[in-house]
Amino acid sequence: MPESRNSRLTRPETLTALGIIVAAAGFLIPTTALRPISALLPAAMLVGLIVLSVALLVSDQRKARAGEPAKSMTQAPKRVIGAFLLIVTYALACDFIGFYVSTAVTIPLVAWIFGYRSPIGLLIATVIVVGTIWAIFDFGMSQDFPTGRFWGH
Amino acid sequence: MYSDLLHALPDVFAWTNFAAVVIGVIAGIVVGAMPGLSATMAISVLVPFTFGLEPLVALGLMAGIYNGAMYGGAIPAVLLRIPGTPAAVATTFDGYPMAQKGEGGFALQVAVVSSAFGGIASAFALMLLAPPLSKVTLLFGPSEVFWVAVFGLASIIFLLGGNPVKGLISACFGVFVSVIGSDPIYGNDRFTFGQLEMLDGINIVILLVGLYALPPVIDLLETPLKTDGVSSSKLGTQSLWKALPRMKSFWKTWLRGSFLGIWIGILPGAGGSMAAFMSYNEARRTSKHPEKWGEGEPEGVAAAEVANNADTASALIPALTLGIPGTAVAAVMLGGLLVHGLQPGPMLFRDNPDIVFGFMWQFLFGAILLVLLGGSLATNSFARLLNLPRPLLGSVIIVLMLIGVYSIHGRMFDVYLMLGFGAIGWVMDRLKFPLPPVVLGLILGGFAEENLRLALRIGRGDPMILFQNTTSLILVALTIAVVVGPTLKKRYIDSRKKA
Repeated sequence: MPESRNSRLTRPETLTALGIIVAAAGFLIPTTALRPISALLPAAMLVGLIVLSVALLVSDQRKARAGEPAKSMTQAPKRVIGAFLLIVTYALACDFIGFYVSTAVTIPLVAWIFGYRSPIGLLIATVIVVGTIWAIFDFGMSQDFPTGRFWGH
Repeated sequence: MYSDLLHALPDVFAWTNFAAVVIGVIAGIVVGAMPGLSATMAISVLVPFTFGLEPLVALGLMAGIYNGAMYGGAIPAVLLRIPGTPAAVATTFDGYPMAQKGEGGFALQVAVVSSAFGGIASAFALMLLAPPLSKVTLLFGPSEVFWVAVFGLASIIFLLGGNPVKGLISACFGVFVSVIGSDPIYGNDRFTFGQLEMLDGINIVILLVGLYALPPVIDLLETPLKTDGVSSSKLGTQSLWKALPRMKSFWKTWLRGSFLGIWIGILPGAGGSMAAFMSYNEARRTSKHPEKWGEGEPEGVAAAEVANNADTASALIPALTLGIPGTAVAAVMLGGLLVHGLQPGPMLFRDNPDIVFGFMWQFLFGAILLVLLGGSLATNSFARLLNLPRPLLGSVIIVLMLIGVYSIHGRMFDVYLMLGFGAIGWVMDRLKFPLPPVVLGLILGGFAEENLRLALRIGRGDPMILFQNTTSLILVALTIAVVVGPTLKKRYIDSRKKA
């Protein structure tokens, strides 16, 4: 049975194709301000992206009309969204709070949330990883890490 | 031509360079043994850490990881019937039944010796074929270089298989990313949106880490893998010296598999899985007991493993000489070379012979080192890697990704950019958009644009300059063949089926 109109438009490939078309069209605007020779390659690629995305969109909609179900992008959407959010939060925490504190919290937190629940294992792993990073990068290679914008650094 | 090869040898034996290969091989085995992680991902994460290292140390690590990971993929393939890397799928056919019979240790030793054999053959192929090919490419002018770039992109899009529309979208995206930043000739900003951080363009490492490291981390956290505890006592591992005589009869399979692996490695877009399948099928076809295959035939493990390692160094033949990588790992390695200011192509051999030939030696030593890691203690230890908790591994990789990308310029802007590319990479991965064309588009995009514009200036704006010599026309013909060939082949197969 063909999919309903709503679900046809929310198929992952259709949404991706639409996203590419909108983004590529948006990026085409600044090319008008460039010299023609500078704009040649980027404009060609953006137009290419639009044309190819239209082809992808049409092909996916044909599949939908034929009743071919869209493959789900993930079997565990909550876990995927959670993982992305944790990674982004970790980056923000490093930026605003500082690298070492954020890392010492993130390693056990991520592992705990996603199923590794041994407190001793988590403690040992955190100490080893943070200690090794400090010894190699901070002490050994004088690498600077984010110290946190909250603290005025 | 080959004198540079011998000249480069002493540098490889400097202890730092040699230690890099050893560490790389061990790290590669660890990564390969973890289902979901791959050599591509490991090298992507590693590349930013090599900024401050000598080129041969960095390249030694990469060569070691590539060799080690190809063997490491056999560990879960044999013990869990889960290929650690895509190239290890064919290893499961006979490796897992061997483990079920209590011969898992022997299966891993067959895998390690076969991997070493394939890797050594591949390194020799790289040493023998790359130097003469680089001499030919020295004769190329701007229009030929432009067509080489177009041919490279076309071959990776159309020979990779899958949906060519998706391949083309990936390539267009990669080329578009390559033009972000200052125009190389006029200096005006393109798509920087006032961000000073974007003026120099997008660093390839940011893209590599985002595309190749973030999606596997999400996979690690998304699906918990139950291993039921792999115990080394069930492996039945014996000393390698006792195991070697049982492998004597595999020599024909090793030679055939090496040849196939090298050939497939040179072809852009093919890769280790295809090599392993072809080698496995050929070995079974010529076997005296094909009925035993699939039930625990050690020669099946040998056939698959020799071929998937034989395509490692050979994939670098077109990569180092023409800038066209044969596999995704080779594409990432090109990124690693660029980080050290080494532009793949003929000039690489002329300007940095010690480094490029040293890199070839490192591939050879990496392969030899695999044999030393085939003893019972090492085999049992690597088997235990499967018990590592995946969520913990995922969280550690996240930290390494952040450190690596942050350390490029010491700014968080790059980290956010990497996360953006990571999200795009995850969507592309799930929707089966190929990732190698993005990397190749980024590497070759700027290169192609510069040479196209140079050729047009030489020709005073006349585009016919691009078609005015035989080499260019041959490259155009090859590009057309690569684009049209798979469609014609498919039609021919379909018509044969109908008939």
